[in-house]
Amino acid sequence: MRALTASRLADGEAVFWKNGRWAERFAEAQLFEGDDEAEAAEAAAKSEQTVVVDPYLIDVISVGETWAPLSYRERIRCLGPTNHPQHGKQADGGADIEALVHAEGASRSTGRVNLIKRK
Amino acid sequence: MYRYDAIDKELVADRAAEFREQVNRRLAGEITEDQFKPIRLMNGLYLQLHAYMLRIAIPYGTLNSAKLRKLAHVARTYDKGYGHFTTRTNLQLHWIKLKDAPEILDHLAEVGMHAMQTSGNCIRNITADPYAGATADELDDPRVWSEAIRQWSTLHPEFSFLPRKFKIAVTAAAKDRTATKIYDIGLHLRRGRGGELGFEVLVGGGLGRTPHLGSTIREFLPTRHLLSYLEAIIRVYNRHGRRDNIFKARIKILVSSLGAEEFARQVEEEWAKTDHARVDLPDTELARIRGGFAAAFEALPGRSEAFEAAKADAAFARFARRNVHPHKHAGYALVDVSLKVPGQTPGDMTAEQMELVAGLAERYSQDEVRVTYQQNLLLPHVKLDDAPEVWRALDAAGLATPNIDLITDIIACPGLDYCALANARAIPIAQHIAERFAEPERAEQVGELNIKISGCINACGHHHVGHIGILGVDKKGEEFYQVTLGGSPEDDAALGQMLGPALPAAKVAEAVEQMVEVYLKERKEGERFLDTFRRTGVAPFKEAVYADAH
Repeated sequence: MRALTASRLADGEAVFWKNGRWAERFAEAQLFEGDDEAEAAEAAAKSEQTVVVDPYLIDVISVGETWAPLSYRERIRCLGPTNHPQHGKQADGGADIEALVHAEGASRSTGRVNLIKRK
Repeated sequence: MYRYDAIDKELVADRAAEFREQVNRRLAGEITEDQFKPIRLMNGLYLQLHAYMLRIAIPYGTLNSAKLRKLAHVARTYDKGYGHFTTRTNLQLHWIKLKDAPEILDHLAEVGMHAMQTSGNCIRNITADPYAGATADELDDPRVWSEAIRQWSTLHPEFSFLPRKFKIAVTAAAKDRTATKIYDIGLHLRRGRGGELGFEVLVGGGLGRTPHLGSTIREFLPTRHLLSYLEAIIRVYNRHGRRDNIFKARIKILVSSLGAEEFARQVEEEWAKTDHARVDLPDTELARIRGGFAAAFEALPGRSEAFEAAKADAAFARFARRNVHPHKHAGYALVDVSLKVPGQTPGDMTAEQMELVAGLAERYSQDEVRVTYQQNLLLPHVKLDDAPEVWRALDAAGLATPNIDLITDIIACPGLDYCALANARAIPIAQHIAERFAEPERAEQVGELNIKISGCINACGHHHVGHIGILGVDKKGEEFYQVTLGGSPEDDAALGQMLGPALPAAKVAEAVEQMVEVYLKERKEGERFLDTFRRTGVAPFKEAVYADAH
């Protein structure tokens, strides 16, 4: 399963594709089972250059009754920094946030599809 | 403190106005992200995990109260009320909105600050000894030379698109407090046989994927030729640096592949062709810059009764031992402001704390504050008589942890909590280690021990040169940490040796504790952790940490 994420151009907020719009919370993200649908959404997102920066697909895993990004890196993007729990999306709380906080999974490399590291 | 002249002010204001226009064009879709990215990077604006990050230049780590108050204002108004001081003595704000960036640059320009050349493949902000102008062991004020380099390198048209980023450090003291050996160019002021001053020039230091210590390519460069010689070095690098491979593009790779001797020969050849008079600063200009750093000190007795009496308080006595250092003028001291409260984020400072230190600097330290590469601040000119009052104010604000150079004075990059490049978190590892040694008596008993943590191989946390270095890696999809021992960035510079297989996050603090126990058991009179390690080698430390694995 996959989701599509990006950074919002105006403020850098992590956002998630939801049927042609962008949502701030991962719980609202549209999940793609097949490659074709996911890649079509990615292509559409890449054309939204005044809305988002650098859209990319991430792997998603089942966590209890919900879903979470596979990678630790992506979960931090969904939550906020672990040294400041009062900052980022995690500050708003909620069952979906709690589920992500307690999800277990992998670090970055397996989470982002086609990642190229550049400094 | 040096004040920007009309040219500097105009340049900074123009640059802020230019960036406003560029941001507007990007938001309107008139330029693409590919076109905009190098522009925003040249203005210190990165896109990270949660928001944009603005890296603000603090030239040679020197601030005054107006600048620090402005940083506090920006942190409070446009960020979440705090900032993060880095190992290159800059300030990073991690929650910036692109649409606010032009307004922030306007604010910074009001006090002569900016974010130019804090990113991109150019000559970055200059690092200098934080004790500059205050320590008895310096031959000259390194800020004079740092300011000359700043003026020369700012928007230098020939060096705006180098093969990779380029960092320069300057020290003029016997003790190296700037880590000159891990810079692309390290300049160490020396006195020549005839009494004249000149620089030992080191080239090709750097950390990252392939760490190197700088090599001396010239033992003694007369100070008046500094800029023309720098030009020759960077020209040779600009010509031959590996633009084809980002991992081999730093000058350290060029120096390593040519050999320091051949690189030096090419620099000398280039320098011989240079019209020195065109580049080197005339004495009049140098004198003008020097005048900007003039400071006046009162004639005071060397002993302060108020200072000595305050030591009756054990907490102040400990602070005096760890955070107060001798000044070149009798009756004055340098006072460290620790940003390393155990359990909190190394290098972070709230807007309120910035304002408090600004006030202390204004009242007690000739309006000067320094940033150290260890991610702390320093008040360079405090009267001993005033030190107890300064301590009380710092202590009330959580800024007086008496731990300079101790095990809890940990360097850590932002790591995976913020950085888009990181593989693993660095901050929580630092927090867990520091909490184990939070008791000041215990930290003092362990003595000097520098722990440096990076969340990826780019090594912003300088892990290669930590007495204990910790590098976050992604191992089969989990956060793991490689440990190195025996590194140092100072006069006895060395790169750390690998301890053994990478450790899971939950094991790192425990491993540090085990290594400290080995040190306490093995150490001889007067030995620091580093000295004991160099005598015993890695074996006893390895045995202690991996005992369970047998």
